[in-house]
Amino acid sequence: MRNQLLTFPATAVLLLFALEGSTYAHHGINAWFDMTRSATVKGTVTGFDWTNPHSYVYIDVKDEKGAIQKWSAEMGSVGMLARHGWRRDTIKAGDEITLIGNPAKDGKSSMILDKAVLTDGRELPASDLVPGTPVGPPREN
Amino acid sequence: MWNRLISIVAAVAAMLAVVPATRGQDAAKPGPVPDISGVWLVAKVQPALFPKGGAPLQPWAEAKFKAADLKTNDPNLACLPEGVPRTMFVPLPMEIFQVPTRVVIIHEGVQVFRQIYMNRQHPKDLDPTYSGDSIGKWEGDTLVVDTIGFNDKTWVDMDGGLPHSDAMHVIERIRRVDHDTLVDEMTIEDPKAYTKPITAQQVYKLKPGWEIQEYVCEENNKYTYQGK
Repeated sequence: MRNQLLTFPATAVLLLFALEGSTYAHHGINAWFDMTRSATVKGTVTGFDWTNPHSYVYIDVKDEKGAIQKWSAEMGSVGMLARHGWRRDTIKAGDEITLIGNPAKDGKSSMILDKAVLTDGRELPASDLVPGTPVGPPREN
Repeated sequence: MWNRLISIVAAVAAMLAVVPATRGQDAAKPGPVPDISGVWLVAKVQPALFPKGGAPLQPWAEAKFKAADLKTNDPNLACLPEGVPRTMFVPLPMEIFQVPTRVVIIHEGVQVFRQIYMNRQHPKDLDPTYSGDSIGKWEGDTLVVDTIGFNDKTWVDMDGGLPHSDAMHVIERIRRVDHDTLVDEMTIEDPKAYTKPITAQQVYKLKPGWEIQEYVCEENNKYTYQGK
């Protein structure tokens, strides 16, 4: 995954640093996503599921040669997203968006979303957690 | 004048009907009780009660704990109810309602509710359920909730995979420590699964203006439960 991303330096950046958990999902996130790493990808929205238990945004990320890599990002539930300022029509196909979250452990081009930067520059929290909510340690084994 | 008096009496009666927290627990025990109603949200997420292990588990429960897997057998993967006490750790809002005979908690996550009966004892021969049977009483400013009658299909903590048996007994002491803060002190007894009681605390903050939203977990659940 790391190497894949590094082939898309113009549009996809993977930042590697320890990140305090700031996301929550109805399922245990640590089993699925690497919460010690942050992923940032920028691309064009191709779909948006405004659904429970999670909403999802799908984007096309283009590399310097024009090749498309498809990314999906798991978001929070509809109720919490609405409290963060999201609406069912906040994003639509064709919008440019930047997704910031934690990458999937399985190496696929997916992440759990922490926040998104919209075309108009607005930055919206995108998980079930109110920003700043402390999260204790997960089970170690 | 007479009509005006009747109107005032009717208005007061209507207020009493909609402000149950100022009334007694039931008709036999009139008197004020604390108001813990409102929408509350956990103040700090606790993924695991024993993140480094060390829970006082019986051998079979230790084996079940080791087999707990967030990717395969977490009941949440199937959108099943978290049950008590796990539901109290879920970082999605819950709303507490009080009527004289009951305290009702509506949890947004997975759209489940708890009913705490203030006017009766536990029925005999309870059917095992996810949330069990809860009865409550006020001890000063503290709501003491006693819950039994569980199935063994849920986890005790949020993502830690702590198991329990159908003998679990949960005692909660719920207190509004200030206007914006609610604290639930839990004691979990389960001699079949644990060698001694375990304790936990969850703090909640009031969320004025929030309303509980629909949460149909089965709508677009992309996870697969492989438990039994």
